[in-house]
Amino acid sequence: MDFLYNHLLTSILFFPVLAALVILFLPKDEAKLIRWTAFVASLVPFALSLVLWFNFDKSAAGFQFEEQYVWYEALNSTFHLGVDGLSLTMVLLTTLLTPLALLASFSISEKVKGYFMLFLFLETGMLGVFLALDLLIFFVFWEIGLVPMYFLINQWGSANRNYASLKFMIYTMAGSLGLLLAVQMLGVAFGTYDLVALFDKWPYAATLANVALGGMSIGTVKTIAFWAFVVAFAIKVPVWPFHTWLPDAHTEAPTAGSMILAGVLLKLGAYGFLRLVLPLYPMQAQQYAWALAFLAVMAIIFGAFGAYGQTDFKRLVAYSSVNHMGFVLLGIAAAAKAAGTTDAHIAMNGAVLQMFNHGLSAAGMFFLVGVIYERTHTRILSELGGLFPLVPVYGGILIFTSMASLGLPGLNGFISEFLVVRGAWGPLPGFTALAMIGLLFTGAYILKGIKNVLHGPLNEHWAHGEHKLTEISLREVLVMAPLMALILWIGVWPAWILDVINKAVVRLF
Amino acid sequence: MTTELLIWLIPLPPVLAFFLIVLFTNRSKALSHTIAVGAALLSWAGSMVVFFRAVGEEHFGEHPFASSVNWLPTGDTWFKIGVSIDPLGAAVLFFVAWTVLMIFLYSVGYHNFGQPKGDHDRAGLPPHGATVTDEHGHKHTVLSVEPMYSRFFAFIGLFAFGMYTLVVSDNLLTMFVGWEIMGLCSYLLIGFWYGKPSARAAAIKAFMTTRIGDVFMLLGIAFLYKATGTLTFSEIFTEETLGVLANTKTFFGLSAAGAIAILLFIGTIGKSAQWPLHVWLPDAMEGPTPVSAMIHAATMVSAGVYAVLRMFPLLTADFTGHGLTTAMSVVAFIGAFTALFSATIAVAQNDIKRVLAYSTISQLGFMIAALGIGAYIAAAFHLITHAFFKALLFLGSGSVIHGMEHGVLHTGNHHIDPQDMFNMGGLRKKMPITFWTFLIGGFALSGFPIITAGFWSKDEILADAFAHGHWAVFITLAVAAFLTAFYTMRQITLTFLGEPRTKEAEHAHETPWTMTAPLVILSIFAIGYGWVGIPEHFPVLGGILPNWFHEFVGGTLLEHPEAVEFSWIPLGTSLLVALGGLGLGWLVYRNVKSPAEDRLQIPVLKNKWYFDEAYDFLFVKPAYWLSETFTYLWMDKGFIDGILHSFGKAAAWVGDAIRNYFDGPVINDFIADKLSHQWTIHPAARAVRKAQTGRIQQYMLASIGVLFVVGVLVYYFLLA
Amino acid sequence: MIPLSWYLILAAALFSVGLFGVLARKNAIAILLGVELMLNAVNINLVAFWRYGSLASIAGQVFAIIVFAVAAAEVAVGLGLVISVYRRRNTVVADELDLMKW
Repeated sequence: MDFLYNHLLTSILFFPVLAALVILFLPKDEAKLIRWTAFVASLVPFALSLVLWFNFDKSAAGFQFEEQYVWYEALNSTFHLGVDGLSLTMVLLTTLLTPLALLASFSISEKVKGYFMLFLFLETGMLGVFLALDLLIFFVFWEIGLVPMYFLINQWGSANRNYASLKFMIYTMAGSLGLLLAVQMLGVAFGTYDLVALFDKWPYAATLANVALGGMSIGTVKTIAFWAFVVAFAIKVPVWPFHTWLPDAHTEAPTAGSMILAGVLLKLGAYGFLRLVLPLYPMQAQQYAWALAFLAVMAIIFGAFGAYGQTDFKRLVAYSSVNHMGFVLLGIAAAAKAAGTTDAHIAMNGAVLQMFNHGLSAAGMFFLVGVIYERTHTRILSELGGLFPLVPVYGGILIFTSMASLGLPGLNGFISEFLVVRGAWGPLPGFTALAMIGLLFTGAYILKGIKNVLHGPLNEHWAHGEHKLTEISLREVLVMAPLMALILWIGVWPAWILDVINKAVVRLF
Repeated sequence: MTTELLIWLIPLPPVLAFFLIVLFTNRSKALSHTIAVGAALLSWAGSMVVFFRAVGEEHFGEHPFASSVNWLPTGDTWFKIGVSIDPLGAAVLFFVAWTVLMIFLYSVGYHNFGQPKGDHDRAGLPPHGATVTDEHGHKHTVLSVEPMYSRFFAFIGLFAFGMYTLVVSDNLLTMFVGWEIMGLCSYLLIGFWYGKPSARAAAIKAFMTTRIGDVFMLLGIAFLYKATGTLTFSEIFTEETLGVLANTKTFFGLSAAGAIAILLFIGTIGKSAQWPLHVWLPDAMEGPTPVSAMIHAATMVSAGVYAVLRMFPLLTADFTGHGLTTAMSVVAFIGAFTALFSATIAVAQNDIKRVLAYSTISQLGFMIAALGIGAYIAAAFHLITHAFFKALLFLGSGSVIHGMEHGVLHTGNHHIDPQDMFNMGGLRKKMPITFWTFLIGGFALSGFPIITAGFWSKDEILADAFAHGHWAVFITLAVAAFLTAFYTMRQITLTFLGEPRTKEAEHAHETPWTMTAPLVILSIFAIGYGWVGIPEHFPVLGGILPNWFHEFVGGTLLEHPEAVEFSWIPLGTSLLVALGGLGLGWLVYRNVKSPAEDRLQIPVLKNKWYFDEAYDFLFVKPAYWLSETFTYLWMDKGFIDGILHSFGKAAAWVGDAIRNYFDGPVINDFIADKLSHQWTIHPAARAVRKAQTGRIQQYMLASIGVLFVVGVLVYYFLLA
Repeated sequence: MIPLSWYLILAAALFSVGLFGVLARKNAIAILLGVELMLNAVNINLVAFWRYGSLASIAGQVFAIIVFAVAAAEVAVGLGLVISVYRRRNTVVADELDLMKW
């Protein structure tokens, strides 16, 4: 046990890979065995991260449960892991959503083995980003996550999956190029990739050793590097105008893929802002906070408009992610602008909590879209309609989740949106006011979805005969139940999670 | 139990009922309504205890019941939420508890509990009636029970939770939570019969229109929080905080206090359906009648006014007593304009519930206008009396509709609209309890002198406007009050007086006790509640009863507001408009038989000044265009994806070019094929390949030969 | 004792016989036999050199044993190939197996 406790982060990080290797040796026709193995295996990291959560000392400064091993001696890059309040929340989100996504994938019947293995690899990739305290390791995991996701979309997606997976892959890769260059520059200049060391050195560096600046001042170099980081993360978040890969990827991905994509992968981008951009570039972030806020507001407004303009239910939900993640960036921009003030802390609390909340509600929404898609094989809103009397339980769950997504007070989304708006009002009042347009249209598209799926005139096609719509199954309810419980719990009593976030935020920003 | 704990507990029973019904008991109608009504009863009992303890306290205004807990960590401090009941809260709690309980009870009868299941009823549509066979073998069509009976009680339970939360909150944020939960319930309940296209549209319209107000309110909350660092009322409404807010300048020459007040007030415009966001309320009549009564008369729309009452110190922070501030002028203008504007529309409506809907908007305008001119107590007073008599009127109209539906089922003519007043007439004999209670409610609404509550509260608003010289407001409200009395009498005349105009009206039937009992109880308040607020200097009656309302609710404010001087002019006006309106209404409509004879069916009034059409053109259609065409097709699909695809195309073009113009001709054709293959390697290979015989022994011989040669060379060069 | 050269002459003769077999015989099995003769010629050399060299070091013997093992393996593989070739082409005549010819 001691060994496990001392290597808790590594265990969480690599257990999914281990499980995937076990699955590799299972007979490929035993679909049931593979599913259950993957599902049970994914519960282990979740249990471990609960151990992590309860043993985490939220009042202590710095990173906890640190582990450091030699990795690439020549570059002086070490395998350095650690958690603080920000990453802890994200780790919990990831390990919670993965079992649920796997449970949601039980209906996958093609190439089961490959599917579940890729999913477990994906989990390790995502966790690695959240746990890494070394820039190079961060980058490695950042890229690792892409590969399984690419194949999940490409192999198990729907009609237009080739286009979508390629767009996803190339777009994200293109964004990472600048990041890689900037990371290398930091590594060369300071001879280390260790984040803890870089946080101390880089923001205040007046000269750069070993780097030919080509006649540029250090300020210019930092600005360029700042934008390189920002673009990489902005594509992942995604921020307007880099968002167009998202509706395609989300729409074409299999249900569980969309859940993880919206629930966790988008958070990687936002996490990049929190972990790297703001601590490494406080000055530049403050200087360009208006630009970030502008992009955020555009994402909020046009995400909402985009969602409202959809005829495809899943695309509508996909666009809602753009809208919601815009609030995360708005909070980050406000925190950058007002660094060190209460406004910044509140905005940042809101942004981090919004990341967590969006993980819950977006994953839930995508799953619910998947439930209806599995039964009807259509996502076109006008072909659904009036389904409430046929599937009352599903309808209730859909309304609940939609309301969480809408930001109804009493549910989780409201708390985080309120905190962001409150925090951003001080430093960025104009942008905050504009964001309200997006908030208004959030209501419009959510109601459009509910109206077309549940209310609307009943499409008799689904009421009788072989197409008769069946009610949501127990397994599917079990996927939603933890999400809904958390949505309500955070909405009513957010202190348990917000306290962890808050203590970390106060120390960092 | 301490009062504070009790206040914490008040909102909980309805929300527990909601969860219980949704999760467990939704299959049992009796159990569901027992739980819901029981929960309402518990909350009612709690509210009454709190109310009477509050009334019993000395100097209650300075020491309200309050308790709070840490809720959100914000940096180094905590954001606290809590409950508090001050005099205003207690007064509001009183009427909320009563109306909510009455409406819960009424819903049991309204949704035909105990009646058989309908023949063709399905979830999402109102019940159509059931066929039963009596002992003689005759078939009758009777009212059928609502298919989604349990769900209705779950929703109104959640709604009651929202309202109680709003009232007991000690801070703006949880108040907003209650506010929005009510918004959701209003959406769900208006769209309760979602099978009807009109109900669906109305639900979305209600939610979206109020949400416009809500987002501004959210901004106002953020602004207030930023400016003061707290959202707790008792911490904001201190002299120094208000002073700072009043002296901070912001945009448009407003003080911070004024700007925040206006932002919050926009929320009220949405929620209380004030012009220009009034359009949702009339359409909201698509919901079941108890919903109309509860949401659209007694509680939710009152919440808007309650919010302004709460924010009154902020609204008047930079008010010196001479000349209204910008913020107050805005409020007063909106209120007065709405009061008159919607009264004009109410005159031309034929649907019994729509008349009441416009009347509600108009009456809320009265309260808002009163707040705009600083008449705090008058507004609070009217809020409460109005909640009672308007709930009574809505429930009464529901009872009328229910009776008419009975007639419709009897005759089987489903083309008769049971809500159209021109299909009624003479119902006073068929439905006596409904008639008398409706009459009380209607007279209270019109401000019938002395005996009704509406008279006292409306008179107080007019007196206040007059005493402080707000002539424009005074005249506007007086005209609105005249129209109010007029359309109320029109409604009563068309519905109850005269002779039945249709067969259905002849066969109308009094409703069950669960519906009439709430009417009777509410009508007691519609009369009696006026007596707690009779001005001290009122001729003859003044001073017999103490002006308890003024003393009690006035204690909420830091400075106790002074009672206005008595004057005959507003009283005379008030008497004149009420009696004149009622009389004229009766004279004009006693012989009107059909809409064609009604001279006030003017298109512009009938069509509500064309606001729906204008909004559709100005906002709804552009929103569609902006989303579907501009954002999605042009910007995302066209522009951004266009740029991305052009990268893709450029890359593909470069690849093509390299392949077609370099790789192909130069590398493949020239270097690989010609230069290497055809000219060099090929001939050479041709020559050499002769050596490859394919015979293994020749190869071996050759290798031995090579070995021999190598051996000789090694010996010769290295060893020798 | 018989002088070392006798053994060497014997080995050389055996080797030559083997070489002749490998180069001249048409039958693939005969070629393999030739290879075996050559290997055993080497073995004779190895053992002879050990006997006449230092008795303490056993490298010669060990080498011989390794050569046995290799020879056995080689024959096994070789015969396997021959059988396989025979099955496919119905001949074991080396001249006819000229697939490697251009």
